[in-house]
Amino acid sequence: MIRRGLRLAVLVLLSVTIFALPLLAQQKEMSPSDADPVLQAMETELERSKTALKLDQVAAAYYIEYRIYDVDSYEGEAAFGAIRNTDRTRLRFLRVVVRIGDYKQDSYYGQGSGSYGIVPLEDDPIAIRHQIWDATDRAYKAAAEALTAKQALLKQLAPPDEPVDDFAHAEPVQSIGPLAKLDFDPQPWLAMLQSASAVYKDEPELESAGAMLRFQAINRYFVNSEGTVVRSGYNNFEMDIGLSAQASDGMKLERSHSYIESKIKDMPSAADFHAQAVQLAGTLKVLRNAPVVDEEYRGPVLFSADAASTVFLDFVGENILGRRPRLGQTARTVGQFASSYKTRVLPDFLSVVDDPTLASFAGQPLLGNYQIDDEGVPAAPVTVVDKGILVNYLMGREPIRGFPSSNGHGRARVPSNPAGPSVGNLIVTASESLPPAELKKKLLEICQQRDLPYGYFVGTMGPQNSLRLLHKVWVKDGHEELVRGGVLEGLDARALRSDLVAAGNDVNVENRPQNIPHSIASPSLLFDELDVKRVTTNKDKLPEYAAPDLASAK
Amino acid sequence: MKSSRHAVRLAVVLICAFSSNPTVAAPEAGQKGATQKDDILLSSMQTELQRAQGQLSKQDPGLYFLSYSVHEDDSLVAVASQGALLTSAHDSRRTADVVVRVGAPGLDNTHLGNRVSAIDSGALPREDDRDAIARVLWQLTYQEYRKAASAYLNVKTSSEVQAKEEDTSPDFSIEKPSTHLESAHAAASPDQAALEKLVREYSEGFRKYPYVYTSVASATIERGRQLYVSSEGSRVVTSSRLTRVAIEAQTRADDGMDLIRVETFQAGSLDQLPPATEIAARVEKMATDLKALRDAPVAEPYDGPALLSGRASAVFFHEVLGHRLEGHRQRGEDEGQTFTKKVNQPVLPDFLSVADDPTQSVLDGVPLSGFYEYDDEGMPAQRVEVIQNGILKNFLMSRMPIKGFANSNGHGRAQAGLMPTGRQGNLIVSSSKTVKDSDLRQLLKDEIKKESKPYGLYFEDIQGGFTLTQRTLPQAFEVLPILVWRVYADDRPDELVRGVNIVGTPLAAMERILATGNHPEVFNGICGAESGNVAVSAVAPAMLFSEIEVQKQAHSLNRPPILPPPGFEKSDAAQPSNAGGRP
Repeated sequence: MIRRGLRLAVLVLLSVTIFALPLLAQQKEMSPSDADPVLQAMETELERSKTALKLDQVAAAYYIEYRIYDVDSYEGEAAFGAIRNTDRTRLRFLRVVVRIGDYKQDSYYGQGSGSYGIVPLEDDPIAIRHQIWDATDRAYKAAAEALTAKQALLKQLAPPDEPVDDFAHAEPVQSIGPLAKLDFDPQPWLAMLQSASAVYKDEPELESAGAMLRFQAINRYFVNSEGTVVRSGYNNFEMDIGLSAQASDGMKLERSHSYIESKIKDMPSAADFHAQAVQLAGTLKVLRNAPVVDEEYRGPVLFSADAASTVFLDFVGENILGRRPRLGQTARTVGQFASSYKTRVLPDFLSVVDDPTLASFAGQPLLGNYQIDDEGVPAAPVTVVDKGILVNYLMGREPIRGFPSSNGHGRARVPSNPAGPSVGNLIVTASESLPPAELKKKLLEICQQRDLPYGYFVGTMGPQNSLRLLHKVWVKDGHEELVRGGVLEGLDARALRSDLVAAGNDVNVENRPQNIPHSIASPSLLFDELDVKRVTTNKDKLPEYAAPDLASAK
Repeated sequence: MKSSRHAVRLAVVLICAFSSNPTVAAPEAGQKGATQKDDILLSSMQTELQRAQGQLSKQDPGLYFLSYSVHEDDSLVAVASQGALLTSAHDSRRTADVVVRVGAPGLDNTHLGNRVSAIDSGALPREDDRDAIARVLWQLTYQEYRKAASAYLNVKTSSEVQAKEEDTSPDFSIEKPSTHLESAHAAASPDQAALEKLVREYSEGFRKYPYVYTSVASATIERGRQLYVSSEGSRVVTSSRLTRVAIEAQTRADDGMDLIRVETFQAGSLDQLPPATEIAARVEKMATDLKALRDAPVAEPYDGPALLSGRASAVFFHEVLGHRLEGHRQRGEDEGQTFTKKVNQPVLPDFLSVADDPTQSVLDGVPLSGFYEYDDEGMPAQRVEVIQNGILKNFLMSRMPIKGFANSNGHGRAQAGLMPTGRQGNLIVSSSKTVKDSDLRQLLKDEIKKESKPYGLYFEDIQGGFTLTQRTLPQAFEVLPILVWRVYADDRPDELVRGVNIVGTPLAAMERILATGNHPEVFNGICGAESGNVAVSAVAPAMLFSEIEVQKQAHSLNRPPILPPPGFEKSDAAQPSNAGGRP
């Protein structure tokens, strides 16, 4: 229901925009940006640059865009129960793109990919416009040189059989959303960091204990010479706990937990946050004493929904982006699915949709929710994988062969990066699914068929395919045993296609705020054959001397 | 941890310039006296240091030296352009540097290119929590010990394999421990709003000038405490306060040459800064200088007599001579070692002497920013007579010995996180052959006539290199003349030129100093080198050179901005003379 409602809202928004355009063109003073001094300054400079920015021997720009990210950020960090740093920063980052040429072939190449600046925080039109003016002048000159360089390079290359435009056409959009604010009292939140990172006092074997928070209000202003004007704002609230310890053989063990929400009211209470730290410390204690994985294992591996979302994001999310290969290369896109269009990339019981217009899924909030992307294109749901077959890519305004238009997935990393295709809310659905308990049974069945004494169940993934929470599930009695030091090998596009045999009827949403906020929702997944190896720990050794005694214990 | 900790970092426009400013006030020395008995930070450092020393000296290879150096910094920064605030921030942090030496003073892990193996840094809790402070120090220490131990094994192997080095000095000098405990400042609460108001006002001055294309004013207030403890028994606590304003403005000539003016002001506190009217006047002067520079002819290659103002001479000596007097440069295999074998030989005309005196806080009422009481290796600052009557006598020494100079003379300096090396403090050039400044100009004209040159050069201002990059990076400095005038032997007025680049051998030029003025001028600035940015001063009188060689500066061919700046859309004056292309 939520989904349909939002889609409808986008359609309404789109139609309003389109119908409103001729009117706006006639009545400039009615521009929705009139009330916003930042947008007004951007539009004034845009108008001036559109009509007058030209060198004698160089074509005028055919496209200009201005983007300002107003990033207000509060960060705090604690180690071992004490605050180490707090930092409040607010800056307005400007990015200017000037394109010379036309949609078919333009200057967006190398140094022609935009210029940067920092604009004032205060709404002083002349002072804001001064920075925009300076960055625009630099961008135009750089674009002129980039176009020459690009044309020279193209002359050395054979012309492509199927030419692809450099820039996609897009309908102008006007949308003025409310501004996000960052207004809170840091003290109680810092106290939570202190309390969570103080758990080492009760767990002397913890080697490091830290907690951090980053609360942000990010407001985005975007105008382009096609008539698009967008203002939108959002909040990010993030708190992390990170603990580490070493086993007696020196193996490094880590546990962490993140809370990421777009509303501060959804953040954990002080008691919950502390309890989470205590729980993490507890699993570390168990892990320290857990046996090390066997050196070699080849057999079935069951991923919890939590672990499966990590797998999907890393192995599917990266490969469904319509990213253009380097100039002169003929592939459709880059990544492992570059030549997989209309072929099987997943088992036929799985489908994948990216739908940024959803605010939540299965009752869990989605961080990758937005209405208009960072190139001013309205977000649209995209079915990427249909019953196992790759049918589409996530597109920004840079076309790839066969995909001439954006589907509203052109997004930019804050503060100043260029926009490009990105995951929004990636949702994996299974047409056939089993309850998690049934999946476990199935895991043991496969083990039995192959005379394996146990199979693996992955609770949580760590970085570099490490298996942070890994259990042996024993065939003889079904009991689970926590083990440490496992790392996954051989998980690749082929394994996803051929070795993925079942999915759960559960779902986990993983929200990732970093770089570009995005989400992934996935069920549990069972692979019938993967390799789990022992991590190399020859560099891990115990500290040369013991940690200091607690002063309070003296 | 799934979330990366990337943060929106401000590429603050930090002007690390060694640049002029006669109107400064001294960094305030803290009140002397016993530090508070309950200095939790200091006692935690001390306790943890002793524990680590006891444990790590028993390891193989054994630690023989350990120091903890904590910089407790509280800084406010505000940056504005065109009268509006770009950013404003308050930051308060403690950074710990842990230095570990493994082996023995004769040969340790710092040998040759391995100095970086001796230091590790990390953020320390800014709360006075003994347990948390001790834990972080412990982690830093055992990690740093591993780095040092592994470097030491490499050092031992290569010293056995490689040919004997020319300079066989030990790697670390033996020194007496220092004890100096200054009580903490009662820190006045910093006024962020006042700081913001200042930079708005300063930067607004450039709004009147359409040809000033980019400009920025920044102000920082830094208050800090430095705590140092070592396994040799040193305990040193000092404090510092510095308020600094930097104003930068830039234009571009029609031929594409970028022209820049930078002014800096330093004081102990906000209210000791020059009055706003005086800074506003300086802003006006910067703008009019830039206008004059835009219109000035490009300098032609020239070789002949030149006069440097006191401030220009001070920068010239700091850059060209001062850096070559830094002790560690006599030993590094990659160093030019210009002066290594010139001890007790003449390197300057005999009427010139050079001392570096960090203990001097004021000169003729002008505060010196290279003032400090203890260096970053816990050694007391000392006045060092480097060149006496033209004869090279000494170097600026850290605790890294060089041939013939076995000990530190209190010049081991570094910014937090970097290994100290021999650095300048207050470099003071004095002369026994002085004439009145007004007579120097006549001497220049006489010299021009004598050499039958069409004109001579007067260097009013030299920027000792400048940069707009992060302060954590060492900066390569060069001598960059900013305001240079042609002086004619007859009565024609002086003529400003732009794009001057001093070439030839600047050191050789120093031997051609004919006479000096009688009025020393002070340059206060921030000097960047491999051990980071440190506050310095240079003091010198005006100087007449019989010969300085200059060339045209290479520059970009980018045109000035095409459109007039906002606010000048309809003004003809705004239109750069040949920007062209407006339909």
